[in-house]
Amino acid sequence: MNIKQSAPTTVHNPHQPSAVEKLVAFLDERMGLKEMQAKMLNEPLPGGSRWAYVFGSVLLFIFAMQALTGMLLMFYYVPTADHAYDSTQYIIHEVDYGWFLLSYHFWGSSAMVVCVFAHMSQVFLWGAYKKPRELLWLVGLALLGIVITFGFTGYLLPWDQRAFWATLVGVEILDKAPLVGDFIARFLKGGPTPGQMTLSRFFVLHVMILPAALMALAGLHIFLFRVAAPAGPFKGTVEEIKAKTDYFFPRQIWKDIVGMAFVFVGICALALWEPVVLLDKATPDPGEYHPEPEWYFLFYFQLLRLKLFAGQLGQFIGAVALPVVFMVLLVALPFMDKDPERNIFKRPIALISWIAIMVVIVLFTVAAVINREFLD
Amino acid sequence: MLQPKLKSKVQCTDLNIGEVTKVVLDPLSHEISHIVVSVNGSGERQVAMGHVQVVTDDLVQLRAPSTEILALPPFKREDYVTTHEVEISHLEDHIHVTPGEVLVPLPDLEKSVKRRTFFMNFTNVIGFLIGLPLAYPILRFLMKPMYAEFDNQWLKVGNVNKIKQADVGVQFKYKKKVKEVYMPEYEIEKNVWILRATPELLDKVYNDKDAEFRDAKGKTIWTNKKDVPYVAFSGKCPHLGCGFKWRQHKTLGQVFLCPCHLSIYGATGRVLDGPAPRGLDALPLKVHASGEVEVIDMEFKAGTKLQVRIV
Ligand code: HEM
Ligand code: FES
Repeated sequence: MNIKQSAPTTVHNPHQPSAVEKLVAFLDERMGLKEMQAKMLNEPLPGGSRWAYVFGSVLLFIFAMQALTGMLLMFYYVPTADHAYDSTQYIIHEVDYGWFLLSYHFWGSSAMVVCVFAHMSQVFLWGAYKKPRELLWLVGLALLGIVITFGFTGYLLPWDQRAFWATLVGVEILDKAPLVGDFIARFLKGGPTPGQMTLSRFFVLHVMILPAALMALAGLHIFLFRVAAPAGPFKGTVEEIKAKTDYFFPRQIWKDIVGMAFVFVGICALALWEPVVLLDKATPDPGEYHPEPEWYFLFYFQLLRLKLFAGQLGQFIGAVALPVVFMVLLVALPFMDKDPERNIFKRPIALISWIAIMVVIVLFTVAAVINREFLD
Repeated sequence: MLQPKLKSKVQCTDLNIGEVTKVVLDPLSHEISHIVVSVNGSGERQVAMGHVQVVTDDLVQLRAPSTEILALPPFKREDYVTTHEVEISHLEDHIHVTPGEVLVPLPDLEKSVKRRTFFMNFTNVIGFLIGLPLAYPILRFLMKPMYAEFDNQWLKVGNVNKIKQADVGVQFKYKKKVKEVYMPEYEIEKNVWILRATPELLDKVYNDKDAEFRDAKGKTIWTNKKDVPYVAFSGKCPHLGCGFKWRQHKTLGQVFLCPCHLSIYGATGRVLDGPAPRGLDALPLKVHASGEVEVIDMEFKAGTKLQVRIV
């Protein structure tokens, strides 16, 4: 800064700040950029970086891409019962790269569900939900609810047979909740039966309310994560952990970005190989179509086919009690499990429950797929 | 023991060697682990807290002689970051390294504010009072289309001469005009299953009693007479609302099968297998001499043991 004041005889100036450096200095002076960047990157990870920690960051990446592709789709998509289907077909068949953006958005939603599941499994197996991270876990559960609702509301928007029937059955399941079920179902449908009002409501949820809620809660989630500090590995002495500790940058960021690239390539590949194809336009008559939900709900759909859940009581157990009890258990988990032991191999109940849930999901998904052939 | 303060003099067993210029915190315990001593005239040394014997207000007394401290390697600033550049929450919470408190004056106007709690609560109450009157209008706004009157119109669905065989489910498709909110009336496709019933089947369906349909007030809308040899079932599966089909089943013969969760109903509409909580919903049906059939398009809630009409 004292270049101007320096004597004219000093010809040689060791360093002239470039335009970029000047701009950075300008911004830094006004926003404290450098300190902010340092704080963001210099977060100690006890025990060092790991591939297992990539899922949270990958989820943020997937969400950003869903927001981008979703905003682009809205340039052509029209959320009305008489145009939703045609506008979606137009995106697929007429708009340049429309098929790709729509297919990316479609497979991105699957990737999101897979990653939420992986992320939840990781924090569960690592015992990262335990004190002092109870709130972090709770906000995580709210995010899980949002991701599922994203899938459910988005599924209706193309307004084809698949969309219509999955929604119809989904809403009927909500209707089975005691006391409030009827109200919730009518509230979502915007009437006694699905129609334009249902599409409008799902659309507003999908493109406005859920993204806003997800951004707010993800912000809170990361804030809580930073306040609580990363949980780190579940075994090892303090000295061992200290010796391996490094900052978020560069090793963990490197792993995160590789994870993102991997997921990006995976979604692109799926979009190329299995682009979205619509069925017939939605009508209240399924015709030859066998209604089925999105693949990640298939296991639950197959579960509802069990004899155990037959009849009104069985239905209540399967459609209401079971998911509610499961959610309540997840909410109560960090408060019930007070044992500070985080090593998953010393928490047999946790390990067995996780394996059991995995087995049920896999078995019932496979059963649902096998059942398809039996139906035709 | 007090925490060492910045600028405190540092005293070895033999002489005073300098002053505290920095402190180093342990990122895990959040305690001071080292002090950095600027040695009079010969750079800085990093001294572990283990060397410290006593700390008083302005003096740090070490256990070692000055030669031992001077023999320590020089302090390497580049091995450290400041607490502003790293995110370890609550790191500084109980560290008091600054000599005394750092203060700013309270503005004059703030000094005269007495009832801080009152003003805080007042703000919250006003905020609440702004929100409260909005809640009900918002709810009503969103509830507008949720409840609709039942429509008991008769709709023509086709002609029974399409039915070739008795006790066999035949699907009749028809259009229904609906009017949703502000939108022009439009047609949706619906379907109903009609059987020409043999007397045995009729017996099983009606149990010798006519079937009455009443409105919410209990007034009879229509009675299906037990001797009319036709039965109509709503196309909506009473399990969770899918559409079912008339199919050949390996052991049960000809049945209504719902592909969603595999509920199976006999020609009478009763549940033979699967998760459905009640049989198929029979609809009010009128068959004219010409064979023209009309039904009242009713829809019932799926998943309940008793019928609950919603359309
Ligand atoms: C959209 C959904 C979500 C996003 C974007 C998200 C994002 C993140 C991020 C970026 C982190 C930081 C470190 C890491 O990746 O492990 C994190 C940590 C964490 N998340 Fe999530 N998360 C989501 C859903 C969930 C769910 C469903 C749960 C569990 C119910 C959960 C529980 C946790 C916990 C307990 C941690 C702390 C892990 C540790 O300290 O090692 N999150 N999340
Ligand atoms: S909806 Fe028909 S069996 Fe479930």
